[in-house]
Amino acid sequence: MLRRRAHRYRDEVATRARQQAAVAELGQRALAGLELEELIEDAVQVVVRELGSDYVSVLELTGDGRGMHVRAGHGFPDGVLGGVLPATGEQLPGYALKSDGPVVIEDFASEARFGPSPLQHDLQIVSALAAPIGARGRRLGVLGVNSRTPHHYSRDDANFLQAIANVLGAASERARTDEVVRDSEARFRELADTTPALMWMTDSEGHVTFVNEGWLRFTGRTLEQELGATWAVGAHPDDLHDLLVHWRGASARRTEFRVEYRLLRHDGSERWVLAEGLPRYEDGEFVGYVGTATDIHERKLMEDALRESEASFRDLADTAPVMIWTTDERGLVTFVNEGWLRYTGTTLEEELGPSWSLGVHPEDAPGVISSWNEKLAARQPWELEYRLRSRSGDYRWIVDRGVPRYEAGRFSGYVGTAIDIHERKTVEARLREVYEREHTIAETLQRSLLPERLPRIDGLEIAARYLPAGRGAAVGGDWYDALERADGRIALVVGDVVGHGLRAAATMGQLRNAFRAYGLTEASPSQVMARVNRLVMSGEEEAMATVLYLVLDRETGEVTFASAGHPPPLVLTADGAHFLEGGRSVPVGAAEPGVFREATADLPPGASLLLYTDGLVERRDTPLEDRLDDLAEAAGQAEGGLEALCDSVLERVLGQRVPSDDVALLAVCPRAVASEAMRLSLPAEPESLSGLRRRLGRFLHAAGATEMEAYEITLTVCEAAGNAIEHAYGPGDASFEVEASFENGTLVAVVRDRGSWRERRGTHRGRGLQIIQGLMDDVEVSTESDGTVIRMRRRLAA
Amino acid sequence: MTSAEVAIERRGGTIVARLSGEVDMTNATRVREELLVSVPNDALALVIDLDGCRYLDSAAIEVVFDLARRLGRRRQGLRLVVPPTSPLRRVLTLTEVDSVAPIHETLDAALAQ
Repeated sequence: MLRRRAHRYRDEVATRARQQAAVAELGQRALAGLELEELIEDAVQVVVRELGSDYVSVLELTGDGRGMHVRAGHGFPDGVLGGVLPATGEQLPGYALKSDGPVVIEDFASEARFGPSPLQHDLQIVSALAAPIGARGRRLGVLGVNSRTPHHYSRDDANFLQAIANVLGAASERARTDEVVRDSEARFRELADTTPALMWMTDSEGHVTFVNEGWLRFTGRTLEQELGATWAVGAHPDDLHDLLVHWRGASARRTEFRVEYRLLRHDGSERWVLAEGLPRYEDGEFVGYVGTATDIHERKLMEDALRESEASFRDLADTAPVMIWTTDERGLVTFVNEGWLRYTGTTLEEELGPSWSLGVHPEDAPGVISSWNEKLAARQPWELEYRLRSRSGDYRWIVDRGVPRYEAGRFSGYVGTAIDIHERKTVEARLREVYEREHTIAETLQRSLLPERLPRIDGLEIAARYLPAGRGAAVGGDWYDALERADGRIALVVGDVVGHGLRAAATMGQLRNAFRAYGLTEASPSQVMARVNRLVMSGEEEAMATVLYLVLDRETGEVTFASAGHPPPLVLTADGAHFLEGGRSVPVGAAEPGVFREATADLPPGASLLLYTDGLVERRDTPLEDRLDDLAEAAGQAEGGLEALCDSVLERVLGQRVPSDDVALLAVCPRAVASEAMRLSLPAEPESLSGLRRRLGRFLHAAGATEMEAYEITLTVCEAAGNAIEHAYGPGDASFEVEASFENGTLVAVVRDRGSWRERRGTHRGRGLQIIQGLMDDVEVSTESDGTVIRMRRRLAA
Repeated sequence: MTSAEVAIERRGGTIVARLSGEVDMTNATRVREELLVSVPNDALALVIDLDGCRYLDSAAIEVVFDLARRLGRRRQGLRLVVPPTSPLRRVLTLTEVDSVAPIHETLDAALAQ
């Protein structure tokens, strides 16, 4: 009976492993960019292969949300594919669409929650299994399997189907997102490149990250030459110094600036331009400048000409393409040039005199008049952007500027120029719109990619927090994940994609999937990291991320981790908190081939692990080490369970501060080890030994054994276990058991296997026996009906 | 997972191999290969420093015997460094490793031989 149960358990484990591998494989194909259509076909085949059902269907919610289109399937008669089923909740497909997870139907005859779909009814389906595709609130469809004969679908089968449905959901989401990303970026470029102004953008450090087509046409340089250093490189050598002083001063204060300088044109000539820069703030955080340069060469020439002679000025002014005006000392208009009249469609008579609000947009007029009067009274330069009615009747944005002029040392009025900045103003507004739109999409995407809830894992407590940066800030690419590997160990990931916005969020989704896929198949963290790195480096788009990938053996407390440029994990024990050092390498996406290191540490009994992204410890005003110290201190003071720990850490580290970057936090704690007795059943393979050592070590340590005793007992038990492993001669013997307990201060250890005791297999087995007998007080080997038992005793000193 | 690292350093005619981590039946063969290739023909002796070693099982001990045999054929010596407080000491004595590879308490003592 026992043996049969063991067999069944083994079968289940094997099935589960195979199913997980199938999911991982499909995930990898999705990741490799397989067309959605092909991926769906693959998914159907995988489900047919693993669940062996009569019919498999992929139903897709129709655009109006009222029907479900049979998009793909297996086993159906002709004419079913392409058809549409109702999406009502009274039938299985509609019900599954709204459910949180997979729906299992033992028998439709006894199913009270809903009925079969018309298709299922026609095909006389008895048992079925259906899993919703797509995130909750944004369902895309349903993946279903159907059987004409009664069939029991297990919990594992249901989880498997849901996992396949999740891969399809993620792939469909990605297919949609890719379109949105392309769309949004194309819009931005188009917008920037069609504006007549010259444009540039910098990051917060002042490095140029973007210049538009107009700028490149003007300077005649390539994009590569323009990016990086500074936008001021093209300035006339005589102006460069003043320009840099001005720009650095403004950017240090992060204020708007406006400066005139000579920019060298592609043909070698110098043109006066007006450079304007606006700091881009995103919810209090400075993220760089967006700047424009407008050719004001003509205006400059006018001003120079005016300085020379009033008469030649008027001649020149009338032929100039800019709008020019003059006033007398009372501020009354005495002259406007042809350019002005052409622009406004007014006559000279209308414009002369106190005409300040003539043609000005009603909303802007009060501001124009009050600012003009103020400057006039003080005889200071005046400058304002406002809307002026043009000849066509439309209001257009202009920037109008007047400077006081003096004749023979006596104030004689103002001379002013105005230029049309309508295009630039409009582009600015639309750019802001694009930023906001991109932010919303990125945020949605990011939400959809984070696990809705963390998996429930036996023997492990787990809690997580995700704190988005302040509203309006660009979304970061942070994520966390936890999954249970086939070997029973837990893989934990926390990562942060370099950059913000849509692209970062999309990259995050891909990385998360990659870590899921490789995390299931690769045992070593450094290998997982190397494979993800290869994937990232082979991609077309540049992406970089800092990642902490950690594998935890919850039985033994052994953690193996690799940090790709990520801050170190924090261990919390009753004595306080400390960081796990080592295993550090460069970020993923930085170099290929990347060399990734890993490190191993033991988690003491009762200890918790805290993984986080650097938004938690990021502050410009304090060195990183101090911030890590603050985190350790805050975490060390926290009390209560993991949920309380997360809350407490966030509260103590961030306080009232809204983080300037996203913060992801993941806390786990393996359940405490019993100290009176332990019992383990392990696969009969050499790889089980390291886990056995850790587990025994923890047990003996908890029981008060000295380091020497713990080492000797562990070694002895492992030698006996090594014997059991070498005895295993078939799949039926694929496990061994270890028990350890105390009887009046004496340790009793029992190693039980299903093979027969063979002495001296090779010299080192002989030495193994020598060790067992030499280090234990008493050793007893007995052969029982189904195997061999080694019973060992050792009295502890304490 | 069992992991061990071997760091090789040459001190005159002697090769010093610092073995850290854990050695058991899963990685004993690899460790043996690493140690073997670290000893060129012109070296006089190999000193294995076990100061940083946390675990050795019978398979690892067998590696020491095997190395002693192979090096002996090439007339090269093998010596071990095991600090007096190391938990490994008793096991090494018990299995008579010291009969093929003398055990010293410090690296300096082993190099002085």
